[in-house]
Amino acid sequence: MNKVYVLGGAQTDFGRNWTKEGKNVIALLSEVIDDGLKDVGLTYEEIKVLNNEGKIACFMANFIGEYFINQGHLGALLTEVNPAFYGVPSARYEAACASGSVALDSAISKIISEDYDVAIVVGWELMKTVDSKTCGDYLGRAAYYSQECEGIEFPFPKLFGKLADETIKKYNLNEKEYLNNLAKISAKNYCNAKRNPNAQTKKWFMNEEQAMNRGTDTNAFVGGKLAISDCSQVTDGAAVVVLVSEKYLKKNNLSNEYPRIKGWGHRVAPMIFEKKINDNKDSNYILPWTRQAVIDAYNKAQMTIESIDFFETHDCFTSSEYVAISAFGIEKPGEENNAIEKGRTSFYGDKPINPGGGLIGVGHPVGASGIRMFLDIYKQVARKAGLYQLEKANNGMMLNLGGSATTNYVFIIGNDRYNT
Amino acid sequence: MKINTVTVIGANGTMGRNVAGIFASFGNAKVYMVCRRLVDAKEAKMKAAISVRAEAINKNLIPKIYDELRECIMDSDLIFESVTESFEVKKYIYKLISDFVKEGTIIGTGTSGLSINKLSQSFSAKNKKFFLGIHMYNPPYNMTLCEVVPSEMTEKEVIIKVKDYLKNVLYREVVEVKDEPAFMGNRIGFQFINEALQCAEKYKMKGGIDYIDAILGGFTGRSMPPLVTGDFVGLDVHKAIVDNIYENTNDYEHLTFILPDFAQKLIDENKLGSKSGEGLYKKTIKKDGQKIFDVFDIYTQEYRPIRKYKFEFVQKVRKNLLKGNYKSAMDCLINDTSKEADICMQLLIKYVLYGIYITKKVGEDIHSVDHVMATGFGWIPPLALIDAINCVSSFEKEVRKKMPKEFLETINLEYLLKDIEKSTYDYRPFFKAK
Repeated sequence: MNKVYVLGGAQTDFGRNWTKEGKNVIALLSEVIDDGLKDVGLTYEEIKVLNNEGKIACFMANFIGEYFINQGHLGALLTEVNPAFYGVPSARYEAACASGSVALDSAISKIISEDYDVAIVVGWELMKTVDSKTCGDYLGRAAYYSQECEGIEFPFPKLFGKLADETIKKYNLNEKEYLNNLAKISAKNYCNAKRNPNAQTKKWFMNEEQAMNRGTDTNAFVGGKLAISDCSQVTDGAAVVVLVSEKYLKKNNLSNEYPRIKGWGHRVAPMIFEKKINDNKDSNYILPWTRQAVIDAYNKAQMTIESIDFFETHDCFTSSEYVAISAFGIEKPGEENNAIEKGRTSFYGDKPINPGGGLIGVGHPVGASGIRMFLDIYKQVARKAGLYQLEKANNGMMLNLGGSATTNYVFIIGNDRYNT
Repeated sequence: MKINTVTVIGANGTMGRNVAGIFASFGNAKVYMVCRRLVDAKEAKMKAAISVRAEAINKNLIPKIYDELRECIMDSDLIFESVTESFEVKKYIYKLISDFVKEGTIIGTGTSGLSINKLSQSFSAKNKKFFLGIHMYNPPYNMTLCEVVPSEMTEKEVIIKVKDYLKNVLYREVVEVKDEPAFMGNRIGFQFINEALQCAEKYKMKGGIDYIDAILGGFTGRSMPPLVTGDFVGLDVHKAIVDNIYENTNDYEHLTFILPDFAQKLIDENKLGSKSGEGLYKKTIKKDGQKIFDVFDIYTQEYRPIRKYKFEFVQKVRKNLLKGNYKSAMDCLINDTSKEADICMQLLIKYVLYGIYITKKVGEDIHSVDHVMATGFGWIPPLALIDAINCVSSFEKEVRKKMPKEFLETINLEYLLKDIEKSTYDYRPFFKAK
């Protein structure tokens, strides 16, 4: 099978509020595309040449621009960024918070099939155009809206609050200990984000005690047992990666030591949360389809957990990072607490999760998050993560969730020198 | 350096309590918040926790009164003095604590402009070594700048350790500056605001205050126009800062630190700015809850509705910024020949040049000015503004083209532009399409 390499990419500072800056989606896209192209050394002139050969395409991830900025037909927006995109195949991909992954998946397939040699994959969301309650309502479209979200204030924290309840129930956990472990996840991700110049929370204060201090004015409950400290925050942002074929590397005399996509998995669980839970009765895993997507990726890459040095997970809420620990295979289902309590998933642990801060620390501009996670894995493997560079980062795995863990996407990116 | 316990003296003031919040949160230090009355200290404690959005730090915040100062001081690794900006009052406090401060305790003053060397003289030789200025900006949770100002007697090792603590534990953007009036950020920032005030008076027939703010809006690299900022800071505070600089310095911008008469008149009438409901601007809330913003008209000496100026260059710049076309935006700004575009460019050029002049005089290196203006004011850093201009022209060329001959004769442009480096900041987020 043809190999797909990651040439590089860029992201915007997720701490920025583009509405406050008075700028629109074209400004956002122009900035991230300019930076991404600079990072990989590609010019607009070269894009024109590749396009004349029919060897380049763009894949745009976005969840719900129609609501946030009254704009559809998003794949065509790049033509407003630069005339070099005139004629370049481009379309929008959507799978709620996993929109980035579905765009990546399509791009990877098109390179494997040799349709294109270069794929520009960009994800974005502008969410600060509305107040937080309206935003929460819009995001409800990522679940089965009429049944699970309509008329409910902040429906998603409530759905992931239910995941916390179900986790306690399924594994018969001590509630206090479980919630303290969720607080540890939150504090870890905030702490990791302090090293990340693009993180939304880089100036914010959070520690374990504050994260445990749920139900107070500064850490109010938002969804069942979950409080603000358990949530990633909405923000504005964009991220881009450039994927290329082996042929492109050879043609341009580039080394094949660029990080490569080694495996992936894509599974869709029942959309309605209650049905998801009913569906797990015969499984040790609370989210069996999430686990299956991980297994698929391991199989595709012919790798096991032992070869994965670090993880990027979709910590839209602390309760989702908690279950990811067993889904990745770091601990057995029901024993996730071991990894947290022993610091295995911390920055200096043996299986770090979210070394750059994750969604909680970096921020969660929905359509951008999947690409941002992928970019962060790339940066670690390419040893370009700056202050949040891990010592050992030969192979990394990411898990990107859409909805209430409905769409599950997993990718493994690694260096070709370390295939096992 | 491990700081376990801090005493904040004057914790009832805005800076005192907010800085207490920073020590107690990021620093996880036990903080004695010393006020004259316990009720004030308790209120300050509550506000300090809110300022860092973390009630969990309440356990670290301990309200105290001056009667208990001795025990607090003796238990502390660091003392942060944040009492009123009066040399006499500070001297009195230093005398009070001198008798029982243990050797090795860091003593920091939060003064925003009094001479650290002069203040240092209140201490004995052994305490002088541990005394220095720790100047944070308000609100410190959002504005991360911290100017560290050693006196001639501060021990080198102490400076290094304090800077390391502020940077790596409290997550401050630390810039060491020389002991000059208003240090660095305020000297550059308030020069700009005061010159904007002077321009408002000069162009009072054209509209004055809102005219100048419309020329120097968000599109010039800031969140709010300079005179809105001045109104927010308070004209009394503004006056204290510019008077101090005017009286104690004498550089090429000396005259731009003179407070215009109309501003003094507003101060005399207690129209200090947003904190007193009226100042340069006036906010009125109607019965139906609608907020009305008026501006002080310097010519008529009365408040009137804010005008919606429609300068062509501003509209063009904003239109380009909206789509992130920074190059075209800069092109529109630089090449417009209107009077307003000239005023705008001249003030921006003066801001850059004065910033460089001051950083060369009091900063650590050329980049100090960028750190100070970006993280203390949220304004476009001077070197980043040069980068933006250089995208379409050459900064030096624009200086020679736009600035009056008399001004160029007062500066040494060659010296100012020598060894200029590319900014470490990205100029794009600073330009607002507003």
